[in-house]
Amino acid sequence: MTAERLVGRRLAPAHADRGVRAVGLRMIWLHVVSRRVPVALAALAACGIGLRIALIGHWDAYGALQLPLICEAASAAIVTATTASPLGEPERVAGRWLPWLRLGAAVTLTAAATSALAAGAVGGHLAGGTLDVLRNTAGLVGIGLLCAAVLGGGLAWVGPTAYLIAGVYGLYAQWHPPAVTTPWLWPARPAHDLGAAVCAGLVFACGLALITARGARDAVGE
Amino acid sequence: MTATSTPVPARSLPARRRRGLAAARLMRLELSHNAMLWMLPVAVAVFWFVSYRKIMAEPSVWDLRASDFQSGIAADFIVPVVGAAVWMGSRETRRHMTDLMTITARPRWTRLLGAWAATTIWALVAYLICLGVVYGVTAHEAAWGGPLWWPAAVAAACLPAYCALGFVTGALLPSRFTAPVVAIASFFVLALSTELITGSQSYWQISPVVTGPWDAGPDLAVGVFYRYVPDLSIAQLMFLGGLAVAVLAAVALPGSARRVRYTAAAVAAAGLLAAGTGVRLVGTGTLDAHGMITIAALHDAASDRPIRFTPVCSRTVIPVCLNPAYASSLPAVAAALNPVLREIAGLPGAPVRIVQVAATYQQGTGNDVSIGLTGGMPRGEPPEFQLVLPDEISGVPLTTRELAGQVRAASGPKLIANLVGDGPGASQAQQAVAAALSMAARLPVTSAEISAAAVPAGREVHSRRSACSSLTSASCSPAVLGVLAVSHSEYVAAQRFAALPIAAQCDWLAHHLPALRAGQITLAQLP
Repeated sequence: MTAERLVGRRLAPAHADRGVRAVGLRMIWLHVVSRRVPVALAALAACGIGLRIALIGHWDAYGALQLPLICEAASAAIVTATTASPLGEPERVAGRWLPWLRLGAAVTLTAAATSALAAGAVGGHLAGGTLDVLRNTAGLVGIGLLCAAVLGGGLAWVGPTAYLIAGVYGLYAQWHPPAVTTPWLWPARPAHDLGAAVCAGLVFACGLALITARGARDAVGE
Repeated sequence: MTATSTPVPARSLPARRRRGLAAARLMRLELSHNAMLWMLPVAVAVFWFVSYRKIMAEPSVWDLRASDFQSGIAADFIVPVVGAAVWMGSRETRRHMTDLMTITARPRWTRLLGAWAATTIWALVAYLICLGVVYGVTAHEAAWGGPLWWPAAVAAACLPAYCALGFVTGALLPSRFTAPVVAIASFFVLALSTELITGSQSYWQISPVVTGPWDAGPDLAVGVFYRYVPDLSIAQLMFLGGLAVAVLAAVALPGSARRVRYTAAAVAAAGLLAAGTGVRLVGTGTLDAHGMITIAALHDAASDRPIRFTPVCSRTVIPVCLNPAYASSLPAVAAALNPVLREIAGLPGAPVRIVQVAATYQQGTGNDVSIGLTGGMPRGEPPEFQLVLPDEISGVPLTTRELAGQVRAASGPKLIANLVGDGPGASQAQQAVAAALSMAARLPVTSAEISAAAVPAGREVHSRRSACSSLTSASCSPAVLGVLAVSHSEYVAAQRFAALPIAAQCDWLAHHLPALRAGQITLAQLP
């Protein structure tokens, strides 16, 4: 029985819209709480604050390039950690709006992660700028969402964290050959590089589509 | 047979056996249900992508590859190993089994140590795969020396410490966010802690990614001309071992019996003491002349003795002799120097051999390291010219063509300058003869009056009088050692001298070189 039907039976027509909205908000709130989204938002804010504090310090070329990427990977891993469901199969069966809730949560948290990092960079010199943050965070979240669909929400962090090391190496290889120039390693490409942006966007779109349609895999074993 | 003489059936033996079997069964279960098993391909893949290709692109010199292996394992494994360890440490809480496990016969700390040990074993399996491939390929390719085990030991010691840190954090702070946050925070601390290294006495050199003087690049002389100095490795092992023990002991502190708690506290204190001592020792490190960090309290003077070797020599008019580790570079180096050697062979004061030597290191301010030429001037009787190869100084692998070009640009002019006594305060005649010999050897020479446009693009003009006496990566490198610049009158005299028949040149030089070196010959006296 869906929320609309339930409300429609119990409430008078004049109050139906308000009731539907209230139930809808409650459903969203329950979904958000079950995925620890408030904690994730706090952690994302902490990432932004951490970036701001770190930018106060003096970094050499390596550090200045690696620092934002580390913060972006941390934010992406936090976003993807929220895909794990504590309810499992019953929720999948009963939740008609679940795909939209998953989509909304992922998009909202990605936007929050990007905003937190961009806000953290205000007043400091962020290598690559906000465009770089947007591209890298979206791509890393995409990797995390794909991992969530394959490995489960609990282990979704494996993708972004492993990609972080590859990305750091890509930045390092700008000075030390052999250079890595593939756009699939987008953190190593300039912020305005179209190929890198397309690759990151594609990964994000795939991750989003998969997590919306199927959700995170329910892990049975380790 | 009395009761007292009857052998007592060893009832404790089956019990011990059962205990041993139970422990083995527990370990088998932990090994087969461990997240690190599934992270193993990730760790190996990351190592392959990030470090293996880089290591294999370097010359097959043991020190170079072993040092990069240590740094690679320390940096590439930290995220998957710490993440998996956090995941395993939080397993009981994640699966809502804390209460169920509390009532089992085994104490909590033994259960947790079993899970930690299984995680560490899988991490070590991944490490051994990487070690076997890197060292196996290097053993196949290297022409000189043998495997260096100290860097491999430090890399191995990282893994129990990473597992301990992750495992204890996961056990104490179980959350879905703990694994990614702790894994990335560990990487942040490890990767960016090197930003804080200043000089050879920095405490931050305790980081396992550090294998020598930071920012100085790899030292190709280690294990080739001098033994590997393990002082820094020993301090790092003390730190990593102490840290692992101290962190693991913390697992036994909550909820254990009083005796276990006291023991755990003592073990934790001992671990912290070892880790602190390691850090303190690293703070007393100094950069030695061979480019390694020495720690007085750990140093073995026997490590300072040079390694004996029989050089491989070319069949040029003046033999060029290199360390066997550089045997593959000999044809290129000999071919690059041969035009110069042909010009100076047989002249009074010319070297009888070109011998490769190790570069010398000196700590500058901050992380600046002056990498100097021990050689250059002919030494000994009969005189030998001491040669330092460019990749010894830069630490960057060079192609055969690059190596030949840099050897020719750096050592060719120096051979001629040493012969005629050119340098600061040299006479016009000395410069003119040096220029003439350089022209004959097809080394670039230019007149100072000729416009800069005449100089080949990308090359700088250095006066001989300001030639680099020491080379650092930042200020002066073989790649920019330049064209000999002389005045117009010197240039004209050099062209006149070079136009003489070779026999006449040799004859004049054979008779006048001592006087030329002493500055007693004027430009007008040149033929």
